[in-house]
Amino acid sequence: MTEPARRTVVSAENLSKTYGEGALRVEALKPTSFEARAGEVVAILGPSGSGKSTLLTILGLINAPTTGSLRIGEVQVIENALPRTSLERQRRQQIGFVFQRSNLIPFLTAEENVRLSLEIDGVNAYESRKRARALLENLGLDKRLLSLPAKLSGGEAQRVAIARALIHRPSVVLADEPTASLDSGRGRQVMELFRDAAHAQGAAVLVVTHDHRTLDLVDRILEMEDGRLTERARAPGVGRSPA
Amino acid sequence: MMDLAVRDIRHDLGRFVLTALGLGMLLSIVLAMTGIYNGMVVDATVLPDTLGADLWVVQRDTKGPFAESSRVPLRLAERLRAVPGVSRTRSYVSFNVQRTGVDGRVQRFMLAGLSWPDDTGDLLLLAQGRSLRAPHYEVVVDVSLGLPLDAQLSIGRDVFSVVGITSGMVSSGGDPMLFVSVADALNIQNDLSNEALRLEGEARLARVRRSEYGRDPASLARAGQPRLPALTPPPVNAVLVDVQPGQDPVALRQRLEQWPDISVYTLEEQRALLVRGVIDRARRQIGLFRTLLVVISAIVMGLIVYTMTLDKMHSLALLKLLGARRGVILRLILEQSMLLGLLSFFVALLIGELLFGHFPRRVLVADSDRLALAGVVAGISGAAGLVGLRKALSADPNQVLAS
Repeated sequence: MTEPARRTVVSAENLSKTYGEGALRVEALKPTSFEARAGEVVAILGPSGSGKSTLLTILGLINAPTTGSLRIGEVQVIENALPRTSLERQRRQQIGFVFQRSNLIPFLTAEENVRLSLEIDGVNAYESRKRARALLENLGLDKRLLSLPAKLSGGEAQRVAIARALIHRPSVVLADEPTASLDSGRGRQVMELFRDAAHAQGAAVLVVTHDHRTLDLVDRILEMEDGRLTERARAPGVGRSPA
Repeated sequence: MMDLAVRDIRHDLGRFVLTALGLGMLLSIVLAMTGIYNGMVVDATVLPDTLGADLWVVQRDTKGPFAESSRVPLRLAERLRAVPGVSRTRSYVSFNVQRTGVDGRVQRFMLAGLSWPDDTGDLLLLAQGRSLRAPHYEVVVDVSLGLPLDAQLSIGRDVFSVVGITSGMVSSGGDPMLFVSVADALNIQNDLSNEALRLEGEARLARVRRSEYGRDPASLARAGQPRLPALTPPPVNAVLVDVQPGQDPVALRQRLEQWPDISVYTLEEQRALLVRGVIDRARRQIGLFRTLLVVISAIVMGLIVYTMTLDKMHSLALLKLLGARRGVILRLILEQSMLLGLLSFFVALLIGELLFGHFPRRVLVADSDRLALAGVVAGISGAAGLVGLRKALSADPNQVLAS
């Protein structure tokens, strides 16, 4: 593993989220601290309602935590529950998102969907086109560059979504059930893509998943239950060797 | 940054074009209303503008023939011609005629008398033929009457030959205008049938019998003889006065106003009378209708842009999730709204070009009206865009995670 792959790229400290007040108060995420390093693929498991999505929205800088601090890459994004910088810009530059459904913009071609992540951050059209084509060709989508999402298969659309999440070289990729709508083979391909991308780009990949078929491809497994996050010990030989 | 608005439109081009067509039709009605409004003003004033007299002399304490009944003696023109500073006078008479044509259709027109030979109709907007060359039985008609040159037109008990055709010479009511000599016009206006003449003679004889002259057989014999019923020439409606070059029409008017039997108006006053008086209600009604249509267009366009935004809420939420600046979303919504407005505007112009010429009344759309409509459409598009933008900015990135 190269040196940059060992950097801590996500550092959460005492992150918590509470909804409502008084008798209606719900603690969706209990104070949680964890780190993820560059090149790591981390799975987050847990039943529905355990707080996985809440954690994901906080890490994705969509919702603010009630308490805690968060560092992504070199930037202290949230300190004592208050934003320290433009969250919009951090989302644009430091985070990539992948979802259960591909969530591609229906009126943009595959190439344009990928370019979008670069162009909303000010990269010019020539550069964005060049990088998007190169990445999509790497993912075996060179024949589908000009296809609209409606014309892509589920697996192709999900690969385009992954390309969109990776094209701007984020510090962290947040994936919410990315293999749920794919068959076993496609699901493994997607997880392998994440693993390769994490390595190649030095990004941490946090995958919320129920799909136990692909857990052997992740580096660490975190379990979430009743808003509390714990690390699961792994049987020797299962999954990847630690970075 | 790629143009998201254009790409979204391209994705569902048919729907966008159909929406613009519908909106364009609505805007074309706004344009038509403006054109009809302008047309009414021009129609109302085309006659005094074409005749171009400096002063209109009418019956005392009346507003003149465009507003009410006005009768002045035929000889008034000669009296006025003798006034220093007057270069030309013309008698004017006009009245409406409704008759059934040879094809059985009702024809309605306004007949005006030209003061032949001083005025042969050279100032009329002639499209074909010529002006009057004879004092009798020649007529210049407007093209909207649908008669060709050399056609024979029967009015009253006389038959007139169409020698000239004007374009756009209509009355304030939009009816075509016909021009004959004042003498012919007065004949038509005052013509009596043979029976009416006979009855008038009988009535005259009876009046003489009842009077002291009835005891004189010679008087009775004279009263019973057939003769013309009127002893004085019939009156005209007004006299048009042209002022000599270098003379002040206002000063001349002040002098003429001292005559006890006439009132005098300038051309501008006659125009104002027509615009503010004769067509005022119709003008205001069309103005209000046009305002209402603009408001309706704004509401419809706001709803369309709002619906277009609703259709994109998921994509907008995704854009926000990806960290797109507000400017990206603002441009997407406002640009689409503006493009919709622009296309609708051109559809409205095209409809106007194709259809307005076939309207039964004059529809006059000036460049300034097109420019004003462009401004209104830009305003409506901007306002509609803001309605859509308000919705767009409420898109919640959580929506994407929840889907």
